[in-house]
Amino acid sequence: MRCVGKSHPIHDAVGKATGRLRYAGDMELQGMLHMALLFSTIPHGIVKKLDCSKALEYPGVVDVMHCFNTTTKKYNRYLTQFRQDLIYNECIFNTHVRFVGDRIAGVIAETEEAAREAVKLIEVEYEEYPYALTTEEALTGKIDNVFPEGAVFGDYTHDVGEKQDTKDLIKVRTNANLSRINHICMETHVCVADYRKEDGQLTIYSPNQAVFGIRTLLGGIFDMDANKIRVIKTTMGGSFGGKQEWVLEPVTAAAAMRVNRPVRLVYNRSETIISAYSRAPMHFETEMDFTKDGQLQNVDCDLTLDAGAYLGNSINYARTVAHKMFRTYKYPYCHYHSKAVITNTIVSGAFRGWTSPEATVMFEHSMNVAARRLNMDPVELRLKNVMHENDIDLMCGVSLGNYKIRQALEQGRDHFEWNRRKEEVRKFNETNKRYLRGLGVSAGGHVNNFYPGKTDFARVTMSLNESGTILCNMTLHDHGCGTVMAMKMIAAEALGVMPEQVKIGEGDTDVTPLDLGCFSSRTTYVLGNTTIRCAEAMLASIIECTARYSGEKEEDLYIEDRVVYSRTNPDLHYTWSDVFDFSMQSLKQEVFVSEDYIPESNPGVCGVHFAEVEVDTYTGMTRIVDYLAVHDIGKAINPEICRAQTQGAVIMGSGAALTEHVLTRSNGKPSGSLKDYHLINSWEAPNVKVEFIEEGGDPGPYGAKSIGEVCHTPVAAAVMGAVNDALDSEIDTIPITPDVIMEYLHQKSEEAKR
Amino acid sequence: MKLTFKLNGKKRVIEAEPQKRLLDLLREDLHMTGTKEGCGEGECGACTVIIDGEAVHSCLTLVCQLEGREVITIEGLEENGEMCRIQRMFVEETAIQCGYCTTGMIMSTKALLMHNPHPTEQEIRNALAGNICRCSGYTQIIKAVKRSAEEA
Repeated sequence: MRCVGKSHPIHDAVGKATGRLRYAGDMELQGMLHMALLFSTIPHGIVKKLDCSKALEYPGVVDVMHCFNTTTKKYNRYLTQFRQDLIYNECIFNTHVRFVGDRIAGVIAETEEAAREAVKLIEVEYEEYPYALTTEEALTGKIDNVFPEGAVFGDYTHDVGEKQDTKDLIKVRTNANLSRINHICMETHVCVADYRKEDGQLTIYSPNQAVFGIRTLLGGIFDMDANKIRVIKTTMGGSFGGKQEWVLEPVTAAAAMRVNRPVRLVYNRSETIISAYSRAPMHFETEMDFTKDGQLQNVDCDLTLDAGAYLGNSINYARTVAHKMFRTYKYPYCHYHSKAVITNTIVSGAFRGWTSPEATVMFEHSMNVAARRLNMDPVELRLKNVMHENDIDLMCGVSLGNYKIRQALEQGRDHFEWNRRKEEVRKFNETNKRYLRGLGVSAGGHVNNFYPGKTDFARVTMSLNESGTILCNMTLHDHGCGTVMAMKMIAAEALGVMPEQVKIGEGDTDVTPLDLGCFSSRTTYVLGNTTIRCAEAMLASIIECTARYSGEKEEDLYIEDRVVYSRTNPDLHYTWSDVFDFSMQSLKQEVFVSEDYIPESNPGVCGVHFAEVEVDTYTGMTRIVDYLAVHDIGKAINPEICRAQTQGAVIMGSGAALTEHVLTRSNGKPSGSLKDYHLINSWEAPNVKVEFIEEGGDPGPYGAKSIGEVCHTPVAAAVMGAVNDALDSEIDTIPITPDVIMEYLHQKSEEAKR
Repeated sequence: MKLTFKLNGKKRVIEAEPQKRLLDLLREDLHMTGTKEGCGEGECGACTVIIDGEAVHSCLTLVCQLEGREVITIEGLEENGEMCRIQRMFVEETAIQCGYCTTGMIMSTKALLMHNPHPTEQEIRNALAGNICRCSGYTQIIKAVKRSAEEA
């Protein structure tokens, strides 16, 4: 292949390196105003009274919007499809405030500074209600007044397969607790809205993962014709799932329509952590039954998910775990139960992997405990139970195709020198007093699209222009991980041109085709396949137009380097610019094609990760000594970006395992500071080795499968397993911070004394 | 206050509030949006600029501290309309994904190489420890810095 499989910089790298590229927060529209919000300072209660008089008098203030003068139409921030079955319980500004960070009011002013200063002048009178900061507290009934339906939602049970007789089986019971983590996209939340009163046209600019979802949501809230709403995806400074629910778009739209001027709303870091959304705290209780030789038979898993203050995606998120139960291991029976519980905390929402990393923490912790009970090597236990090629995902009945998870385990075991390392670690721990080392392995599977559970399809259009290059339109939302370049490369490969000869559109509801949004790791697989189909149709159209114009037979014509030749007529030579010209002048048509694709496959895609850590028993600090990530990727379209993404995912997941969690104080006030939310930096980051198994064989574009979420899937579980190996512990709660480790060691030494 | 300082090699005389953050002066008053705000508390490094040869957080620097000093921002790195070597290496080495940390990362690299033209990997890691990248594992960034030094 001339293009796919060779590394290319991301399409807008030069704009990013020079600082010239504009993100939404850099945009300045003519007459643009700025907005800043007032947030609830209490975790639960009612806003009795607001006094905005001083704020309105502040120089530069144009207007103040709040819970008493703004539409109280309820919506769900997770709405991504028309008539999606969701519970609506959030307003733009809320009178019944349900967490510290709930939106109460917003000041619109000539400058951001004026807006922020004026916010401080708004006086609020609350009536305080009892509050619950954990699901345990909420389940006591303490906050059943939080919504008319109470605090518990989405009770869900699902059984798959047939339960195996538990006689002679070994039962392994574990819990797994995951804390609230934030995406910490370097770009904070931002939205710019513009409104033209004369024709009622609203335009939204935001970094988001689904322009059509936002159009649908805003149309519902404001009772607007979809034609009056245009949503344009801006350059995205990272998402990781943090920009697929609509936090600022409804607020900014309401503001622009109120003042009939463009309005920009930029959350700072603290506001983004506290008032956007975070990954839910999750509590799993799991029972697994194994045969004596380590064959997994039954899985019984119960999840209580902390939804935070509003539902968002929480019911769906909790249920989705069930859809991840048969992507990694093969076993006859699974019973799954989940519920989402409202608490007076930060709203929960999507995170990279959409429950695959969370399910993997639960599953892999159980596998590690099982390996101990069964006295088996953790890699051996996994090899015994992982899926094989063409096995069926029992949850959805779809084949996992040419799935190389077993190969990834074996390759990783060999290249990481698992057995040699085990011996080394044992010796190291025997001779070291202060430091303890440990090894972890984790296997985690994921998906490539929504098939078969939900609707999935895509449309791509291409038109030939006078330069003989291709304008390719699709509803892409590049998060910053290079999907535009991946599509350029796929299109170029299929068209036989260079990537720079293809221009790719990104999400714009007025211009690009209807699409579901860029999530569920569907972009490469679904949009990539659609792009190939469209490219093939474009080549056929060029041939067809040339045949019609020249009178030659289509089957005699062929294309090489953007020139049409004839096998029978050596004089025939039409560049693609010539084709554009005669199509326009003689055939009287645009060389234009539009192709659909509906995925009917969703092969297995996985990462198997190996970690070695060193725990300092004096400080509780954990260092990642070495790390190997092996991925069955089918085919890496843009390899270096795939590697970079995987390495980034390892740092992100290691953070979830060791350091990252959003602190909430007992009065319900969370910390929005990065001083309290430690991200692994370049000084601590390990060298992460990445290996791709590229054996294709499935219907993805050039055999490619997903990478962006699956590379995050095994990480936290691998690091958690390694720490538990080092400490000979079964710590079931992440992050395993230095405090947790010191407490564990303290208790262990106290027990030893007894 | 009236303020005289050097910005990207050119003398500037401006009128500004003394307590304004340098970051806001650049982005709002001068419309130079290459410098980004990631946290506003000196934790993430997205707003890094160079003042008198040192990498500093422009979110923690006030306008009143600028009198007579020399500021370099990302907009000052291009040479004759072409990217400087560090910028080129970041592009070539796939050291850029979402790009929001990139300008700060490049400014920290520039400051490092001004002081230490041949840093070791550990020195690079130390110099960039105040710049958070959420997309990558720093591997490509470190490689870009190494090449920027080697190919000087």
